[in-house]
Amino acid sequence: MEKKTPDSQVIVVTSGKGGVGKTTTVANLATGLAKLGYSVVVMDLDIGLKKLDLILGLENRVIYDIIQVVEGECTLKQALVKDKRFPALYMLPAAQTRNKDDITTTQVEAICEELKPDFDFIFVDCPAGIEQGFRNAIAAANKAIVVTNPEVSAVRDADRIIGMLESADFKDIKLLINRLRPEMVRSGDMLSIEDLMEHLCIELLGVVPEDRSVVISTNRGEPIILNDNSSAAQAFNNIVQRLLGNNVELMTLEEDSFWRKLKRNLGFKN
Amino acid sequence: MFEFLKKVFAREENSSRNKANDRLRLVLTHDRIGASSQLMETLQEEIIALIASHVEIEGTPEVHFITEGRRTALDISIPLKGR
Repeated sequence: MEKKTPDSQVIVVTSGKGGVGKTTTVANLATGLAKLGYSVVVMDLDIGLKKLDLILGLENRVIYDIIQVVEGECTLKQALVKDKRFPALYMLPAAQTRNKDDITTTQVEAICEELKPDFDFIFVDCPAGIEQGFRNAIAAANKAIVVTNPEVSAVRDADRIIGMLESADFKDIKLLINRLRPEMVRSGDMLSIEDLMEHLCIELLGVVPEDRSVVISTNRGEPIILNDNSSAAQAFNNIVQRLLGNNVELMTLEEDSFWRKLKRNLGFKN
Repeated sequence: MFEFLKKVFAREENSSRNKANDRLRLVLTHDRIGASSQLMETLQEEIIALIASHVEIEGTPEVHFITEGRRTALDISIPLKGR
């Protein structure tokens, strides 16, 4: 593994509420960075309810898990699963038959320290909730991405999580709005980007529109970011650029008209 | 034409998006200070009662919660009767 940057960014992806797209976000941002040649590791801390291996399509390659690492049954290097597409991408799997209390914040911190010399980016996939699993996930991170959907329940939970991150002294907390449907915002039936910014008052990292192809790519175990024709992929690519410190404007979220679809299918960029 | 515009604006005002924003504003204010809506009402009543027990109030006293960024503050405006 060859690092491109001297430092390592440890980014926790969290949300409070479940099902808003944390794991999908981790899988796509990690894949996007690995595609650009950065060495990236994703850590699944959703112990007992693991999903990241499935989203990345690596479920058949898992041998050891993070709990076996902390219990000394294997080394950290042995537990790391190499991605099948990008040699710079690795995953540290969660254990499925254990629970969140089987690992401590100190152990998570120690694992991160051991990973830092080899990786530019360490992503932590945080479980839903605000209990031990959340505390473990934020323990070693220096940046947080809060994922939310334009729905009242997700926004309320995101607000609580932001409050908790601020209490834990996080200085770098950014918002990712997932599954936005521009046509519903326009007809007055969905919270808009501006609405969410007004409520949550943190910096916006990006907006991922609702996209049917996410379901399809998830079925196949291929992160959507690898599908150049989808709007979600474009959104995730933009977010990857912003993580690298590049200024990329928010993409215009227009309705997927017949002409746009045709243009895309003919291979024109939007 | 006027009727049409009125309808459009009325729809906007009653939109589920606006409803969601109103509900969120309220619930997030409560969540952030860790108080129920009941407690906040009590607080408002007691503040007005306390002032009224010392000086005479004239007009409509107002006690509101206002938010600025992620912070919440009490905005108290109590007009007092002059001599």
